[in-house]
Amino acid sequence: MTDVPLHIQRRADGSWIEAQILEGVKPPDLIVVEGEWAAERSQVMQELLKQGVPRPNWPQSLHWDWRKKAPQLKLLASAGFGLVSEKRWQGVMLTLTEPYATQLNQDKGKPLLYIDYLEIAPWNWAIPAIGQVGQFRGIGSILFWKAIRQSQEEGFHGRVGLHALPQAELFYEKICRMTPLGRDPSKQNLLYLELSRIEAERHLKEDNKS
Amino acid sequence: MTNMTKHNGPSREWLLKMADGEDAVQSTSVGGMAANLGVLPPVAAESQRVFGRLIEFARRARGLSVEQLATHADVDLAEIVDIEREDHFIPTPRTVYQLAQVLNLPSGRLTEVAGLTTPRSDVSAAALKFAARSEPTATLSAAEREAFEEFVKVLVEATDGG
Repeated sequence: MTDVPLHIQRRADGSWIEAQILEGVKPPDLIVVEGEWAAERSQVMQELLKQGVPRPNWPQSLHWDWRKKAPQLKLLASAGFGLVSEKRWQGVMLTLTEPYATQLNQDKGKPLLYIDYLEIAPWNWAIPAIGQVGQFRGIGSILFWKAIRQSQEEGFHGRVGLHALPQAELFYEKICRMTPLGRDPSKQNLLYLELSRIEAERHLKEDNKS
Repeated sequence: MTNMTKHNGPSREWLLKMADGEDAVQSTSVGGMAANLGVLPPVAAESQRVFGRLIEFARRARGLSVEQLATHADVDLAEIVDIEREDHFIPTPRTVYQLAQVLNLPSGRLTEVAGLTTPRSDVSAAALKFAARSEPTATLSAAEREAFEEFVKVLVEATDGG
């Protein structure tokens, strides 16, 4: 496994804490992730129940069990990335380099990096309904940034595709500037979005300028 | 684990701007294979509602918490919560079987109630009657217990009778 050093911001006091993006996440790592996250998810659920928060307002990834995603990492075209800080998994992303190809006109048919799963640790979820603010900020953004970089390294010019959960559509369309390409009946009508090479370059330019 | 630095992470400025955006939305979760995750409800079905109510009653009748039932049945806690609370949730056959074992209900008939197989007419009628007489409350009232027991009796008889 290799790592990319960086800092993430603690929400409580705005301090920056050392972190690493780990590349080459393997199936046994996902079992560790699930071990760390399952108990936390259960606590979140108990609190949601106690506060009587309506089910549609619950985090839509509350069901996920990362152990079940482990077999996928055996595929040649798949890769796993983790964001680790304070010896805990703060976020995880699984990607595929095939069979997806871009649908956007300017690069139609060319390969892209497909994000199959992306999730942040339950203690980083901001859930106002139960007074949970989330420990670290921007974990999803860092993984998204990593996807753009990875796409470049694969020779895909930063092109990225994904199916967003409904609660995340706004983030990918408005904040990440991905293009929505319609709902996909083969993926439970999730919205499919793509990041064009132009927008990928803009993100990296903004990153370098700042 | 080898430590090979490739490039640093994103700049703090870029990250702060993105994190502000992230704070303004509910989630960043991506799930391309969400068809397997049960996160989006399919079409509503009366049978799921009855099934959820039956499981809830059977659990309460045995004095089990949701967590205890999940542990005993080796079923994800979230799935039990959805079964009891979500009218649209369709349980997996394994879950129905596990619940039947723990709650001492006939698994074959329980899959009918869950809508996974076509119910016999007497099971359907009993399910409707049960649904009409049951309300979700903290403890089982005498009337609820009677409704629950009547329904279980039909399920057992339907099983015994083939």
